[in-house]
Amino acid sequence: MNSKLIKDLPELVEKDIISKEVALKIEQYYQSQTQDSPNKLFTVFGVLGSLLVGLGIILILAHNWDEFSRATKTIFAFLPLIIGQLFAGYSILKRKSATWHEASGTFLFFAVGSSIALVSQIYNIPGDFSSYLLTWVVLCLPLIYLLKSNAVAILCVVFATWYACIYGYGYMTSGQSPWLYLALIALVMPHYWQLLKRQSNGNITSIFNWILPLSIVIALGTFINRNEEFGLLMYVILVGLFYNIGKIPFFDDQKLRRNGYLIIGSLGTIGLLLFTSFNWIWDFDYERLFFNSQEFFISLVLFFITVGVLVYSSSKRWIKGLNLFHFVFILFTILFFIGMTNDLISTIAINLLVLALGLVTIKIGTDKFHFGILNYGLLIITSLVVCRFFDTDMSYVIKGLLFVSVGLGFFLTNYFMLKKQKSIANLKKINP
Amino acid sequence: MKTIHIFILFIIVAGAQLFIPASMIFKQETILETGTAFKFKTQPVDPSDPFKGKYIYLNYEVNSIASTDSSWVSGETMFLAIAKDSLGFVRATNAFRDNPKSGDYIKATVEWYDNNQNELRFSFPFNEFYMNETKAYDAEVAHRTAQNDTIPNNTYALVYVKDGEAVLDNVFINDVPIAQYVEYPQ
Repeated sequence: MNSKLIKDLPELVEKDIISKEVALKIEQYYQSQTQDSPNKLFTVFGVLGSLLVGLGIILILAHNWDEFSRATKTIFAFLPLIIGQLFAGYSILKRKSATWHEASGTFLFFAVGSSIALVSQIYNIPGDFSSYLLTWVVLCLPLIYLLKSNAVAILCVVFATWYACIYGYGYMTSGQSPWLYLALIALVMPHYWQLLKRQSNGNITSIFNWILPLSIVIALGTFINRNEEFGLLMYVILVGLFYNIGKIPFFDDQKLRRNGYLIIGSLGTIGLLLFTSFNWIWDFDYERLFFNSQEFFISLVLFFITVGVLVYSSSKRWIKGLNLFHFVFILFTILFFIGMTNDLISTIAINLLVLALGLVTIKIGTDKFHFGILNYGLLIITSLVVCRFFDTDMSYVIKGLLFVSVGLGFFLTNYFMLKKQKSIANLKKINP
Repeated sequence: MKTIHIFILFIIVAGAQLFIPASMIFKQETILETGTAFKFKTQPVDPSDPFKGKYIYLNYEVNSIASTDSSWVSGETMFLAIAKDSLGFVRATNAFRDNPKSGDYIKATVEWYDNNQNELRFSFPFNEFYMNETKAYDAEVAHRTAQNDTIPNNTYALVYVKDGEAVLDNVFINDVPIAQYVEYPQ
């Protein structure tokens, strides 16, 4: 896009739209911007290269070179590790560029994993895979701060999540929860905090805005042991928390694609509500629910954190317009406990809630003249209609009419909004 | 923080990164050098691990012991007293909850208590033998073919045992190391 603008500059000068000085200034501005980018690109390729070489070494060693003696194989186990450490040590000592830090950190990360794996291979140490991953991440976590490496931080989050999944979703460890996962994520947090403070608009920060909530969404399920029903509540509150975080102006003022919290929060809320809008979901054995269970306490803690975020951000007048999405987690919690005695009330209320959320979204979309939000609202209602299509005993004629009316809704709302937008644009032209 | 301080911290971390694999090696080497060797009759099958490569999973013939104590819980750690028969093959002699003070023993994991047979089922922690990726499946096949020989099961694992810890040294078919046997079947 920049290059297109620069190409158009002579034409713009020729047609007297901008002056020569302005054209020169624009050109200089873009040139100064591009001076930074090759460096960034080099870092990305450095990290990618280290990643591939590191993974390649793991695979080559996994071949198991049985022609070599145990001693030779042991040397090979340490070789990548020592090379990685030398590179990393050199880049710290000589204060090399970020590219050096990131690339050597990435390589060292995989070298640590490969050396432990290879020693296990040489001595036939059977793998408890989760403790292997845990050792690996713990040994590499300090590199995030020593090398100031984003790539190592990302790898640590990904591998910590992997650890949580193997530990918590595994058959052998059913009934146990990977509490150390929380410690690992907590140890990455200071790095994330620095990124938010220093590079709030950086691409790297938005990667963290996505992988952290994603990791927590994936790992939360590993804390559900026997009371699966509470799992639903845990997840609804968690996505509520993410929505409320995503609505903090710091994140909300950024481009939507950078705001993983808001997207995961919003889509997660709608998805879970649609899931619980089926009556059979509520048909579970409430007598099995234990209030002194781990799941209940996690729900409670999440609930208070979310209320805390909501209260704090409204006290700071951060939220311009509170909408229903902010409170879904509270309403759902109430409905969840009502559902214990009366599943019908909860089912109907959840359906109304989804409908209301759809309408609220459409309203926001029309107020903001935002076609994306408008159609998201319509999509929520369509999904609700589709879900009801499956479990309601309505005649085909009524179901058909429902679909036709929702379809017409799509056309008409979009059409009217487009028309309104055009008339406003015309008005502006007449009275600039 | 000054560069030199960061560097010193890095040296400590690098030391830890080296220490973990090195201590693993040291522990295993000690058992191999000073432990007692036992032969465990076994049946290999071939899975693989994403980081460590191909291995054969060893199903040991010694996997239960007669016991009247039905209070064993699945997943519990047990100490199995072992002895050799005249050919050097392992025999389970007794099961304990705490480590026995004398004689050879290994740590094992309780699988379940069989109420019908009054037997305690267990598994050993040394059930993975890592092999060259081209040979792991062949090893499984070689074992199956070797089964047809006159001797019923002639595949065994050589395991060194010391103070309850065990290191799997090698797997043999007809007294030939399995990696060699796969290349040149006898």
